[in-house]
Amino acid sequence: MILRTPPPKKRRGEAIAAESPPPPSDRRLVIYDHNPPPVPPDSSDQFLCTYQCRQMVKADFVDALTTAEKQLHDYQSKLEALNQNLSKAEAESKKFRDQFLYTEQELVAAKRREQVLQEQLLKELNDSQQRFRKQLQSYNELEDLVPITRRMDHQPTKLIGFCMFHYIFQLKLQNEMNLREKAESSAESADGKATLLERKLSQLSESIEREKRHLSDELAQTKSESKLSISRINADLERMKCKAKNAEEESELLKEQLEGVMKQFNECLHQKSEVEKKLSSFTLQDVTPTENNPLIKHLQEELRNYESEVQEARKLKSSHENIELLKEKLLEEKGRKERAELQLSKLQELQLSLNNLENELSSWKLMMKDIPGVSCHEDIPVKFATLQKEVIDSTMKMGEANARLKQMEVSLDLAQLGKQNAEAEAALAKEKAEVLKSEIKRIELMLSMVTDERDKFRSIINELKKPKNEEMTDEAANMTIVQELELSLVNKEFVIKELENSLCQQKELNDRQHNEIRLLNERLNDETRRIKSLEREGDRLCSEISLLESKLGHGDFSSANTKVLRMVNTLALGNDAKQTIEALQTELQKTKERLQAVEELKSQSGDTGKLVDSYISEKILKLKEQIATLEKREERVLTCISLSTQQANNYTSQPEISRQIEIFIRKMNSIPAFTANLTVESFNRRTLS
Amino acid sequence: MVSRTVAKDIITLRGSAAIVSEFFGYAANSILYNRGVYPEESFVKVKKYGLPMLLTQDDGVKSFISNLNAQLSEWLEAGKLQRVVLVIMSKATGEVLERWNFSIETDNEVVEKGVSREKSDKEIMREIQAIMRQIASSITYLPCLDEPCVFDVLAYTDKDVAVPFTWIESDAKLIANPQMVKLHSFDTKIHKVDTLVSYKNDDEWEEQ
Repeated sequence: MILRTPPPKKRRGEAIAAESPPPPSDRRLVIYDHNPPPVPPDSSDQFLCTYQCRQMVKADFVDALTTAEKQLHDYQSKLEALNQNLSKAEAESKKFRDQFLYTEQELVAAKRREQVLQEQLLKELNDSQQRFRKQLQSYNELEDLVPITRRMDHQPTKLIGFCMFHYIFQLKLQNEMNLREKAESSAESADGKATLLERKLSQLSESIEREKRHLSDELAQTKSESKLSISRINADLERMKCKAKNAEEESELLKEQLEGVMKQFNECLHQKSEVEKKLSSFTLQDVTPTENNPLIKHLQEELRNYESEVQEARKLKSSHENIELLKEKLLEEKGRKERAELQLSKLQELQLSLNNLENELSSWKLMMKDIPGVSCHEDIPVKFATLQKEVIDSTMKMGEANARLKQMEVSLDLAQLGKQNAEAEAALAKEKAEVLKSEIKRIELMLSMVTDERDKFRSIINELKKPKNEEMTDEAANMTIVQELELSLVNKEFVIKELENSLCQQKELNDRQHNEIRLLNERLNDETRRIKSLEREGDRLCSEISLLESKLGHGDFSSANTKVLRMVNTLALGNDAKQTIEALQTELQKTKERLQAVEELKSQSGDTGKLVDSYISEKILKLKEQIATLEKREERVLTCISLSTQQANNYTSQPEISRQIEIFIRKMNSIPAFTANLTVESFNRRTLS
Repeated sequence: MVSRTVAKDIITLRGSAAIVSEFFGYAANSILYNRGVYPEESFVKVKKYGLPMLLTQDDGVKSFISNLNAQLSEWLEAGKLQRVVLVIMSKATGEVLERWNFSIETDNEVVEKGVSREKSDKEIMREIQAIMRQIASSITYLPCLDEPCVFDVLAYTDKDVAVPFTWIESDAKLIANPQMVKLHSFDTKIHKVDTLVSYKNDDEWEEQ
């Protein structure tokens, strides 16, 4: 059987409220003594030790908290630095973007200027070309005029003017050529500048994109790192909380231990007082002064000193405890205050969530009113369950009905096939009958034809027979004709007989086919009856299947074919055994401490009172016996745990244990004998070794 | 017109036994989580059958289930396993509250002759996924388990099966007048597994 996890832990308030010492648990070994030995003065160190341990735990927790807080601060500062870097990078990217836009605008402006310049150049070129053409035309006209002017030598001034005009025209041409060359060179330089600017632009855009990608990657990395750090911090916080809870629980346990020890201390004091009383009674009884009197006095003085010391120690201890209690109360109050402040902050959120929940509740209640058969929220799961059951039942019924439908369809198909076959056979038979009828008719026609021919022939013969005298010479020929006719008649009659026989056969065949059709119809009816009976059987089988399924679900089985096995698991044993081990160990430690205290007492007291010595020795013997029994129990439990937690296969691989398994389990079929043998062997090994 | 052909994988007896025993392991973990037999924080999420499945981290329960699966696969390969039942009982009274029944039909021809079958792995995974979804949604109609509970596993085997060292014969731990809900089934063509949950009647719950 598998056990659930241990029951929920007690709350701290309940533990503090229940200040009365808890009763001893069933697992602890409590040794009840009427005369416990006196507690030495050094026992207060034990109480101090636990307090120091608790303080150390608290100090560790506080240190861990401070380190976690420091880490938190560091992470926060890193986050801020990263955010600042991000903002810087964003500002730089904005700058680059602005620069990029500015360069783009400059590019566009330069291109536009270039276009304007080109247009101007083109215009100038066109104007210069037009002027050049005009001048050429005028030049041509002038050249035409030159031969005329040559004739007219009396007009040298016009020639000179024309040359001047030509020279001026050439100069203008050259100027225009130069201008054109300049314009082309400027256009080329502008093109080069534009290409350079474009290259720079592309480089800038690439660099900007690279920087953007880099920045986005860095952003993503910082985000993921921040998330990771936040999750780590949360995990650390939870760990700290768990540690604090554990520390609180340990403190509670230590308190309980303290109370137990205090009880024992009180018992020891009580026993000590009783011993003192006895000692004092012994001293009173001895009237004669003997050698023991000074010893007894000495012992009494020592006892008084011890008592005073013990009282002082008690006072110190009580004062220490009060201080510690006050400190703890202070810390608790501080913690409560912080918790209250946290919870106050959460109150508002809770109120908001409460309002939301109330709104949802009201909406759900309104919805509930719409649902038929539901008056309160408790009815809803019942309604759901009933609806689901109905759905399940209806689906089951649907399935059954579908199965029946399919079966009926199958049977219907079979019946239809049979019917079709029968109809086909009937049609074939009908066709055969019709064919036979047609043959019969044909044969009857032939018969009628043949009888007509026969009658004709007979009439011919009779006609031929009457004029005997006239035709004596042809009698022989006529006789032969008559014989031939008679032969043909006989043949025809034979044919007629054969046809009649075939008619009879056909009639018989028809009768047989009619009978077959009747048999098929009867078979059809039988098949339909069988189908109906099969349907009934199918319904019955479905009901049986549902019954069997219900039984299967219920878990029934036939013992002739099956057996039910369960795996043995040792988890419960392990948990219980661990708890018993812990309890036994604590008991062992306590008894050992008591033994030490008793032995110290014995060494301090020395020869005072033979009764005390004997009593103490008896106590020592008893404690030693208890220690031995506790150790034995611990060993047995440890061996049981080692047996239960190891797997069976590992066990069987060991030769000794496999031998024991064969002997005790397979042959003798008893597990307790096997475990007992194992414990004895382990005890012998440990004690003898 | 293009026709889709479903790729079929060859399944052997050993492979089918492994699929079924693995399914049982995950189903048991899912049931223990959904029914609250163990606390939620003791489970960890893993991906299986295309779904987020929860597995216990308790060492004892883990070893118990792993040993169980090993034995179940052995019986499945031998064709001796008829049924596996996960029983949830009250810790205080030992009363059986729920029975998760996994019935197994084995193709004996495969066990005797050692032949293999063909079925798509995706199809099997889809069928198992449907069952896991139904197990998760069963909390809507199953009654709440308010008290501490424990679980146990029963195996219905053939009569001639040798009882292993860590197993003992037991009663069937039945529920009187149970409510039953049949869930989906899955088929590897060698082993067919039907799932059914039976629980204590609601009227009896209310009376108590």
